This record gives sequence, C-alpha cells and structure tokens, in this order.
Amino acid sequence: MRFRCFASTAAPAALVVVVLLTSAPAAAQAVSPTAKPATGTAKAWVAPRTPDGHPDLQGVWTNNTVTPLERPKRLGAKEFYTDAELADNQRKERERLDLNLEEGRPTEPGTAADVHYDFAQFGLDRSQAKIAWDRRTSLIVGPEGTLPPMTPEARKRVADAAAKNKGHELDGPENRPLGARCIARANVGPPLLPAAYNSNLQIVQGAGYVAIEAEMIHDTRIIPTDGRPHISSSIRQWYGDSVGHWEGDTLVVDTTNFSDLNPFPGAQNLHVIERLRRVDPDTILYQFTVEDPGMWTKPWSGELPITKIGGELYEYACHEANYPLANTLRGARVAEAEAAKKAGK
Amino acid sequence: MRTKLLVMMAGLGLLGAAVPVWAHHAFAAEFDQNKPLKLKGTVTKWEVTNPHSWIHIDVKGDDGQVVAWMIEGGSPNNLYRLGFTKESLPPGSEIVVEGYRAKDGSTRGVGKNVTFADGRKLFLGLQATEAGPEKK
Repeated sequence: MRFRCFASTAAPAALVVVVLLTSAPAAAQAVSPTAKPATGTAKAWVAPRTPDGHPDLQGVWTNNTVTPLERPKRLGAKEFYTDAELADNQRKERERLDLNLEEGRPTEPGTAADVHYDFAQFGLDRSQAKIAWDRRTSLIVGPEGTLPPMTPEARKRVADAAAKNKGHELDGPENRPLGARCIARANVGPPLLPAAYNSNLQIVQGAGYVAIEAEMIHDTRIIPTDGRPHISSSIRQWYGDSVGHWEGDTLVVDTTNFSDLNPFPGAQNLHVIERLRRVDPDTILYQFTVEDPGMWTKPWSGELPITKIGGELYEYACHEANYPLANTLRGARVAEAEAAKKAGK
Repeated sequence: MRTKLLVMMAGLGLLGAAVPVWAHHAFAAEFDQNKPLKLKGTVTKWEVTNPHSWIHIDVKGDDGQVVAWMIEGGSPNNLYRLGFTKESLPPGSEIVVEGYRAKDGSTRGVGKNVTFADGRKLFLGLQATEAGPEKK
C-alpha cells in the first residue's frame, strides 16, 4: 500500500460516539439507529478493575468503521461532521446497503471489479456488522487529516520496489501480498486499523500482560507490561515488538522492531505509540501515533472508537484452506502457456 | 437500475472504507472476467472455511454428464454471527450461480450472485434465525 504522508499532532478532541446497530441483512428489514452519545463532559465513568488493579479492557470488540483513513480533499480542514451531517451519512449508508441487497453488487459485468463474490451476500458488508459511528471525517486527526508527505528517499525506495515487482506479481508466492499468503495482515496492528470485514478483536489481560487477538488472521499481539525493554533492534517481527505500561487509566503501548514489509511497506524504522482507554462500558477510545523519519516528513496520528460486540471471535484459520493462492498462481501459469502457444513457440 | 446503483456508489465516496475494499488477493487474477458463467447445480457440500468458503455443486450438463464445480464465496465468520450456519446450505439444495470461471480452466468459479432455484437469494433470502451476540 502506498502512503502519501503528512503528520498531525494527536489532539484529544471531544469524541461523540454514536452507535448504529445494523440488523440482520434481510432486504426488507429496517434498521433502527440507537444514538448513544459518549460524554467528555459529564461525570467520568470509571472502568472496572482486573484483579491486579488495572482497568479492565477485556472482551470482544470491533473497530469496524466507515470513516476513511484520510480526509476527503473537498472537506479541507473540517475535522468533524455536524450531528445533522452524521445522521445523513448514516441514512446514505443504510440506503447503499439496502440497494446492494436488492440489486446485487454495483459493478459492471465483464470488468475486473465484477469478478468477486457479493460482500453483502456473505454478511461481509461493513454495515452488516456493528459500527461505532463518530463525527470524525477521517481517522487521521488534525487540520490536514491526511498522511504526511514521504521523504524523497522513501519515495524512491517505494517506487524502486514497485518497479522491481512490476510484471512479476504472479511469478510465485513471494511476489504475492503477505495477506494473500496468510503470513501477516496490516489490520492486526499496530496500529489497529480496521479491516474491510471481520474487523474484530479480543482483549485478554493477565498479570503483567495484555493480549490483543485480531480475528483476521487469527494473530495475537502479546504486550508485556512489566517494564521490560524492547528486544534488540536487529530483530524484526511482522507486527513489531510491543511493550506497554499504564498511565492512569490509559494503556500505552510502544512498538518498534517492525519488518519493513508490514504494515507500511518501505518503512524501515517504524515506531507506533498506541493509547487505549475504556471510556464507557461499550467503548474503548483508541488513539495512535505513527512515525518513521526515514519514511514520512513528520509523525501522523489517528483516533477511532472501538466498540463492544460481545460473543466470541470466530476462528479465521487462514493457511489451511488458502486455495486461492495456488489457484491464482496456476491461473498465471496457464495464461502464460496460452500466450506462448499463441506466439507459436 | 444498475446505473442508479453506480451513481449512488460514486456519490458515497466520502464514506469510503478506511482500508480499501479490494480482497487480500486478486480475484481478477484467479478468475477470468471474460468467462462469465451461470450454473445450476445441487449442493454436495459447503466448505465453511477461511479465507474463503467454497460451495461444491454437481452440475448436470445437456449430455446428462454430471460435473463437480466448486464456487468461491466469502469468509463465513459474519454469517455465523448473523445466525446462519452450515445447515443453512444443506447438501441437496438446488442453487443457481452467476459468476466467472477460473483462469486455469478448472471447474472452479467465483459466485457473484448465488440464489436458490426459486430465485431467493442465498443466505439473505432465508428466514434468518435470531442472531447471536451481534444483536443487542
């Protein structure tokens, strides 16, 4: 994924969380919005404690959202929608899903975009899962709301890598995306950016540890809170190395030691700081800052609500049934053989 | 009506997902956009797996020969949350699959739209059981 970059400082702005519950996807079924404004001004709610005295963040949650990472250009410096605009966005989103359910996928037959199952048919449309709506116009906070520019060196590095892979995307497994190989997926975090679907997490706490499991792809980040330092900088891990500590009621997680292939390909010295604070029984306020001076000209920060869904994570065993990887490569080999035959070789 | 859908989608750009909705793998590399297919068949099994579920069907050709196809669908995780299970598509079900054929020429396809023989949409056209933990 290519990222144009820009940084904004983390601004803990007032957060209005409106939870819209979407009911089962039968076409005729109406959706009843449940607006529940979270408060930044009323008496502070105090989170229950785990046995070792820390705020209890445990449970099954989702960070599903319709808010884009970067603010649409036409909104400029507008960081928040008004309540009326939010209600309008929710209405449009319901209408979009209803139309999809009635008409099927809104893509043109015979195009590459049409070659896909219908997300809504399988309950994978984002509005078929719980969304913690808020009034933000982008996940990235601040007046710009966009990624900072990349440094010239990073731009060149990313362009060179793309040029090297161009035309070779189907040569073999190593040319395929990490997610397609069931090796790593950016939504596992950090940062905990939402996945297009199955954007669910389970948080489990023990003495000296917090674990965050992402449903997709069934990976768990284990975050020690015992004050240990990071591992050696010569060790790189798919999701980096996380260490956490508590600042009052906020879990602060510091992650370094990322591979330069995930989550932001080209970032060779990524550093992510996350802050998690449970602000009401159903909401964790999640804030993050991403920096890598060798990648972006300045750090950038984002914020999104994580909302409770209860129930359980369903297993997303990825590799065992990953037929598509082999199918895709086989298809490429057949296409090559056909092209060679046509060329009369 | 299809045009209306496309116009609406364009107008909703501001609500674009935080993460691109493209699949983690290139469907257009696995299946051929120039090979549309429409199959009617009987379900033999539904592989309720990730990253994709697969519906296996027996398709009887005009020559009376039965050919086994497997149709790629979506992750089943949220279907289960919405109250559907493997029993929602039992073997013996008659379904119609509109989609595209595998690029490698095998009897595999991706189902853009799957209905029962009576036209009801698969899964969503069923009476959904009361959903699990997702509904509050």
